[in-house]
Amino acid sequence: MASATRGRSGRFLPPDPRVEEPYRLTPQLAFRVALLGFFALALFAVLFLRLWALQVLSGDQYAAAANNNRVRTLRVDAPRGPILDRNGRALVVNVPGTRVELWPSDLPKTWPAQRDELRRLSKIVGVPVTEILRRMKKHESDPVTPVVVQTGLHEDQITYVSEHRAEFPGVRLADSYLRKYPFRSLAAQVLGYVGEISEPELKARRKLGYRLGDLVGQAGVEAKYDAYIRGRDGLERHTVDARGRPTSDVTVTVNPRRGNQLRLTLDIELQQAAERALRYGIELAHADKKWYANGGAIVALDPRDGAILAMASNPTYSPSLFVGKPNLEKLAPLLKQGAAKKANYPGINRTIAATYPPGSTLKPVTALAAMQERLLSPHESLLCTPTYESPNDNGVPKQQFANWNPNTYHWMELAQALSESCDTYFYQVGDRFFDLPSDRGHPLQQWATRMGLGVPTGVDVGSELSGLIPTPEWRRVTFKGPPYTDIDRTWKPGYSIQLAIGQGDVAVTPMQMARLYALIANGGKLVTPHVAEDVEQPTDDPRNPQVLRRLASEPPRASGVDPAAIKAVKDGLYAAAHGTNGTSYGVFGTFPVSIAGKTGTAEKIVAIPGYPAGHQEDQAWWCGYGPTEAPTIVVCAVIENGGHGGTAAAPAALKVFEKYFGKTGQIIPKASD
Amino acid sequence: MATRAVDARARGLRPRREAEVLGVAAFLRRLDWVLLGAVAAIVAYGLWSVDSITRHDPGGSLAGRQGLYVAVGAVVMLGLAALDPRLFRRLMWPIYGGTLALMLFVLVSAAATRGSRRWIDIGFFKFQPSEFGKVLFTLFLAAFLAERARAIGRLSTPLAAIGLAIVPIGLVFLQPDLGTALVYAAALAAVLFVAGVRWLHLGAIGLVTLVGILAVLWWLPAAGVQVLKPYQTERLTGFTHPESDPRDATYNVNQSITAVGAGGLHGRGVAGATQTRLQFLPEHATDFAFASLAEQRGFFGASILLLLYLLVVWRGLKIITGARDLFCAIVAGGLVFAFLFQVFVNVGMTIGIAPITGIPLPFVSVGGSSMITNLVAIGILLGIHARSTRRRA
Repeated sequence: MASATRGRSGRFLPPDPRVEEPYRLTPQLAFRVALLGFFALALFAVLFLRLWALQVLSGDQYAAAANNNRVRTLRVDAPRGPILDRNGRALVVNVPGTRVELWPSDLPKTWPAQRDELRRLSKIVGVPVTEILRRMKKHESDPVTPVVVQTGLHEDQITYVSEHRAEFPGVRLADSYLRKYPFRSLAAQVLGYVGEISEPELKARRKLGYRLGDLVGQAGVEAKYDAYIRGRDGLERHTVDARGRPTSDVTVTVNPRRGNQLRLTLDIELQQAAERALRYGIELAHADKKWYANGGAIVALDPRDGAILAMASNPTYSPSLFVGKPNLEKLAPLLKQGAAKKANYPGINRTIAATYPPGSTLKPVTALAAMQERLLSPHESLLCTPTYESPNDNGVPKQQFANWNPNTYHWMELAQALSESCDTYFYQVGDRFFDLPSDRGHPLQQWATRMGLGVPTGVDVGSELSGLIPTPEWRRVTFKGPPYTDIDRTWKPGYSIQLAIGQGDVAVTPMQMARLYALIANGGKLVTPHVAEDVEQPTDDPRNPQVLRRLASEPPRASGVDPAAIKAVKDGLYAAAHGTNGTSYGVFGTFPVSIAGKTGTAEKIVAIPGYPAGHQEDQAWWCGYGPTEAPTIVVCAVIENGGHGGTAAAPAALKVFEKYFGKTGQIIPKASD
Repeated sequence: MATRAVDARARGLRPRREAEVLGVAAFLRRLDWVLLGAVAAIVAYGLWSVDSITRHDPGGSLAGRQGLYVAVGAVVMLGLAALDPRLFRRLMWPIYGGTLALMLFVLVSAAATRGSRRWIDIGFFKFQPSEFGKVLFTLFLAAFLAERARAIGRLSTPLAAIGLAIVPIGLVFLQPDLGTALVYAAALAAVLFVAGVRWLHLGAIGLVTLVGILAVLWWLPAAGVQVLKPYQTERLTGFTHPESDPRDATYNVNQSITAVGAGGLHGRGVAGATQTRLQFLPEHATDFAFASLAEQRGFFGASILLLLYLLVVWRGLKIITGARDLFCAIVAGGLVFAFLFQVFVNVGMTIGIAPITGIPLPFVSVGGSSMITNLVAIGILLGIHARSTRRRA
């Protein structure tokens, strides 16, 4: 450097513009280049080490990750099995449909683009963006199944989405099957409906192969027999690219297996007749100025084995509301408490999930229990008076219990008492039960329970209510503690007396009553009502399917009721329908097939719009069977707030018998209870 | 003439040779055949890889087009190799002015189209000035520092160089092309280092830079001042936490790491490399070309490429030591280090140890500007080597 400085400064020689300073590699530069060399080696060493770690040490793991990237297992829907009536006519079938699915991982990566796409999709399929996002959130835990946005698309929606496929990355159209109900609302509460599996259900059934987004039966037989009719979804492995577009590389790993068909014991025609009969009964009640009549239930079953031939509940709904695009306004009566109340709970199957006091239709139980306990002989005459005061009543004045018919004052035996439905006769019988020493227990309630009242019937569909047969113990427990007093907890004679005619706290379902009348009809055997007959696989001959599994529930079991006692009651029930003073003589007296049965008019406190507190309304009942000699059908009808059983319920039941026997009846107007 | 020569020798000085022109035979003899061979191998390997990588893409293989760039670049490279590098020293100010003018033009035309544009469209070719700028930038800085070689010990010299360098760096950064701006900065650092800036000054400059980086990435955003766009910050820091958000900022990195890892020891081949073939790996022909190559060719294939790069760097460093003057040494240092920086940052990005910056992989990533520029740089290195003090390196 020294010579260069000198040369430039010109101290030694003047600078020569034509020459340049000599350049030599200085040790300093050599050192720095060496440092650069080491630095380069260090950087490359880092790269090599990292590459080694990624490719050699964890190569398998990344290869697996890369395979997961590209292989997507898609599910292929299995068609759900159809539901048939006892004669093989289809109540629920499938139609092929198209479903819009979303694969969240294939959506645009940025939120504005994703939102934009969801908005466009929302506009087409009519599902709000917030709803789509809510479902995507629900699916976050499960990235391998798609989010179902909408099932049951219209043709033009399908065309639009498939033509604009490129604008909807992550959106896929998949084949699916939709439930179709050829008879619309027929037997809606029995059949139930199908909907996406809920989270608690999924948690409980994940082990059974249910997965997020599955369609499962949500009520009725669809829910109960879901395992048989759902079939098994197939699986397909698709190789997809980064935008989720399937390539042509598809392997079917599991073939879908279609669901089995479920045969019910219902008879479509009888079911139709029963539902019409309910509307007819309600109209009759309205004609009788019972304006609050707004619902009801009819059960028809075979008393020999408990097979349910019809179970109608009014008001009703159309299960197809649950298929495809949900119409929230129309679904509100089924899903929202307020709207349901306003529409009088159309989703409830009143045959098993509604309880009513049975009124006089319970009198056969009182009679049977009294005969079993030797408290009454069928030929013992009791005086049927307009009113009754219990000798056991210590109150002053004594409580008066009225007969429905104030114009009566004569002695009668059991058959006539049942036929004319004399309340005071049964008040006396009830009082006899009250008189029993405490070591005899409560035989009236015990017999009622043994005959299936106040306990679940074991019916195979839906959630049923047990109802209530009040006992002194029940009273003590229920009215325990303040604000109740000892008076409330005491079993007074009035309770036994009221129970004897099916009034007071007693509450039963129409199905329990049908079972009771089946017991009377078949001579003392308690049947288990059931609506499912068997699970089948269709064969080439549609009339001769291969039965895979019989679903018939327990065989009828003996109740221990004395056949002689039943015979006496049967005589009474026959007389009620055929004796000139019988309560339903006007309805069944001229019917070509011999029918026996009992009317009931039960007071129940109900909520009526416009009345702030409860309002007492008569529930119209009729239960009976035919043909009297060898009964093959039991019908039990109840019209809510329908007034007299003979006016509203018995004619409705007649309509069912007319359809069943293929004969027409004639109604002679007549007062009854 | 003879007297002058004797006179010059007597002074211990060599005559200044006007742009030395070599004979063809001498030129061939003085070519650095190892460097040329290494580059040719990388280019060939790169073309083959580009063909494998893009064969299944919607647009088809890009190898043909890339081959065209290689041809153009090779001619330019050989031309430059024959040229005396000291020509650039005399043209330093035109070079500086031209660089700035190009970058301003890009900025203005981008502003006119209201978009982010890093290139100038000239029909058949999207010319990316910031790529070519790398070489021009290095040449200018080297010339500037060589002029002030005797004042290199003073702090004012590196500061002046930095002051001049900041302008093009800033213009590139505004394009916005953060990755290339970082390459410029790396070249600047190397140039200062090779020019002989004192360790103390280097340390001080490094410290200030470090503080600046921390401020831009963490402290200023925390205080509410955004120097970088959020996506840039995310990319720069995202590689430190790749699991944070697999869908957005680090999606590319995760797919890239998966691709590299899936390659294993021997590679998955062209058909089996699903990350590339099914488009899971974005930008697999450009920024993430190394990941695709590593997926298809495995650890062995990737290692061969890296070793070739190392060979280029080694030859480059050797050329620094053999340079005939300080200018050439500085130029070689800047070019080699910029090259090393690009290789490391690009490969590091694909394997998750360097930030995502969009720096192409030299000689492999698809792109004409990058390919030609890198060949130009090699051409200059060859030129420096051809005029080295030592006949045989």
